[in-house]
Amino acid sequence: MDAKQRFDEVTEGDIITGRDFTVTRDTIQAFADASLDYNPLHFDDNYMENNFGKTSFGGVIMHGMQNFALISRTLTDWLIPRGGFHRRLETRWLKPVQLGHTITPKATLTRKLETDKGYWVTFDIEVTNQDGTVVAAGNAMAEFIDVIPGSPA
Amino acid sequence: MTILDLDNFETDFWKDVDARKTWDQIIPGELRDTTPVTLTKEVIARYAKGVGEDNPLYFDEAYAKTTVYGGIIAPPSIHILLMFACTTTEDWMRSPGTINAGQNWSYHIPIRPNDTITMRGTALDRFIKKDRLFAVHENTFTNQNGDVVCTGRGQTIRPV
Repeated sequence: MDAKQRFDEVTEGDIITGRDFTVTRDTIQAFADASLDYNPLHFDDNYMENNFGKTSFGGVIMHGMQNFALISRTLTDWLIPRGGFHRRLETRWLKPVQLGHTITPKATLTRKLETDKGYWVTFDIEVTNQDGTVVAAGNAMAEFIDVIPGSPA
Repeated sequence: MTILDLDNFETDFWKDVDARKTWDQIIPGELRDTTPVTLTKEVIARYAKGVGEDNPLYFDEAYAKTTVYGGIIAPPSIHILLMFACTTTEDWMRSPGTINAGQNWSYHIPIRPNDTITMRGTALDRFIKKDRLFAVHENTFTNQNGDVVCTGRGQTIRPV
């Protein structure tokens, strides 16, 4: 199938639900080892007794970029089998995510748009925790193209 | 070129803390000190495993060759690793208490094994909002051909 045919297979309103993710000290360590982000915010209980400006977290928090990586995986798990190419992700962190919390990313395909040279889709993103509270929000774009930039000839 | 060595990375973010710019010292437009790094197949596989990316496109060359990608690529989010891999222990993004407020990233060319990636990082802006000290950073990553692979912008709340 060419890009246009693959683009035609997806529908505005499609909902993508990512895998649940529960934060533990082990997941924080694994993410730090992958990302090289060893900020004490994520490790040091004594340090987290401090106030950060006007904010007190009362314990270590998950890396914000862990959330980013989970959203990215949610999108590419859905896009790659459908021949879509992940183009952009914008996120805002609304609430800290702490040990024992379980978060779930969700993406909704909001719009399909044909441009001069491409076939684009946009997504709204929400990540909720175990209480249904939105901890992160954002949006994303993907493109249906025939040749991935930089691919071997 | 420097092959990224994950096993000898300085994990103590308190080290060199006094050498890092505080919010007051961050000058919008100024470049951050960066070093290019080469990402091996092993580094990409390790990143993928660490963040739970289990698509074999990221670690199985035989499978990846059968796809439209024509070989292994890195997960798009690998810029998360590159931000720390390409900067020094004196970089202000390592300052303890740096709180991420949000990010936006654009992807152009998938990163592949043995690509050498150069980071150009600036502090684009700084501001005060609701008594919090914000810095805006912008990073552009290019490969060994000088092509942009991805670019992104983010906001962090700076420690006081």
